[in-house]
Amino acid sequence: MGYTTIRERADAVGTFRFISVNLMETLARWVPTTPELEAKILFGRHIWDMAQEADGLGQRTSELRAPLHYNARPTDGYMQTLDALAALTDTAERAEAMYDGVLPDLEARYRDYLAGTNQMQDEPTVRVIERVLSDLARMREDYVRFQAQRPDLRPQAKDWKDRLAAIANGPADFVAFRTAPPQALEV
Amino acid sequence: MTTPCHPALDPALFGEGPARDERFTVKEIWVDMVNLPEDDPEWKMEFFHRQMNEECNVLENAASNIVDFPDADWNIRYWLARQAADEARHVDTYREIVEQRGGHVGQYPVMNFQYRILRRIDTLIGRLAVQNRTFEADGLDAVTHAIDEARRDGDEPLAEMYETQQADEVLHIRFANDWIKEQLKVDPMNVLHMSRALTHGARAFEQVFADGGTDVAKYGVATDARLEAGFSAGEVDVAVEQSDARRAAVRERLGVD
Repeated sequence: MGYTTIRERADAVGTFRFISVNLMETLARWVPTTPELEAKILFGRHIWDMAQEADGLGQRTSELRAPLHYNARPTDGYMQTLDALAALTDTAERAEAMYDGVLPDLEARYRDYLAGTNQMQDEPTVRVIERVLSDLARMREDYVRFQAQRPDLRPQAKDWKDRLAAIANGPADFVAFRTAPPQALEV
Repeated sequence: MTTPCHPALDPALFGEGPARDERFTVKEIWVDMVNLPEDDPEWKMEFFHRQMNEECNVLENAASNIVDFPDADWNIRYWLARQAADEARHVDTYREIVEQRGGHVGQYPVMNFQYRILRRIDTLIGRLAVQNRTFEADGLDAVTHAIDEARRDGDEPLAEMYETQQADEVLHIRFANDWIKEQLKVDPMNVLHMSRALTHGARAFEQVFADGGTDVAKYGVATDARLEAGFSAGEVDVAVEQSDARRAAVRERLGVD
């Protein structure tokens, strides 16, 4: 997918922003409902990472001629992925689905964007996304440390691997592009 | 086994508690906690452990505010996210201190009154008035005193940790103060939401800390820190008057100077 027009870039950045806000809310929802202290700390620390990502992306949407903090709801297929993640109740499943499922998939989507845009013309977006990628990598490193701290917290359900795969491999199309506005006719 | 005979907490004032793992024993009221005298060798350990869970309540409240008020403006949601991350760091810091000093998570009972009180407040302005402007402001007074105490005891690493926490608390109170002031201009009804929440918080606090839980007379209001946190000079003066009167009453009741 190429992101060649301003409108396409705004829609993609707005979609990434929506996802960041959604993941911030999911982590926030998990904090009081997760029993294990170490997991609460892990999720709690990353709430602000997601907020900072949303903030940076939201500033950029206004530079791409969309509203400030433009939130573009993803495709229905990708929304199902986010909803499936948010609905998890087991601590180990929550953590693994977030850090070994959705975040690596999201990283790949950001990298696809970088590959599909003009690095020179779209440099401000590129810089925002590079910072996001650095945050996502650190969050996953935090999860590795969490696993060392709580090796007992591993998903136990027999069907978990299949469910994780479904969450980790969301549909390729995730940006619900707006239709282009009709061109003005010159009389 | 004997069950302590206390009046039950009023369910109109307290919601359900947050999830805790099996290491924790959760108590409802102060008198059922392990309340050691300050000269007890275990006093500090129990204090650190209690603080760890208190910080966890604040984390849980900041996180819940993000979830419960999805239509709040982005600026305040962003700050709540920041507060959640700071509080998570505080929980981790206290956990580390407990473990470095030979203790463990779950060593003492804990209370989740801060979280439970906020579950029954249905406006964001009310929650911030109770959590950030009241509980956190009281915590700011406490931590300001604790910095001096740690330095007096020659525990510089602890003093530095408290200073970091103090700076974070100033930030959390200030963003709440700034936002509350804006909201009061937007809608005068917000004054009522705030005062209703503060009354609720005070009544609930009384139930939790009945039978001696508020008998603290050793420190007063941290005036400079409160001013830095966005309280007006008039608000700080009122807090000082109330604190002085309360401490005098405690000293008289306990017969101490």
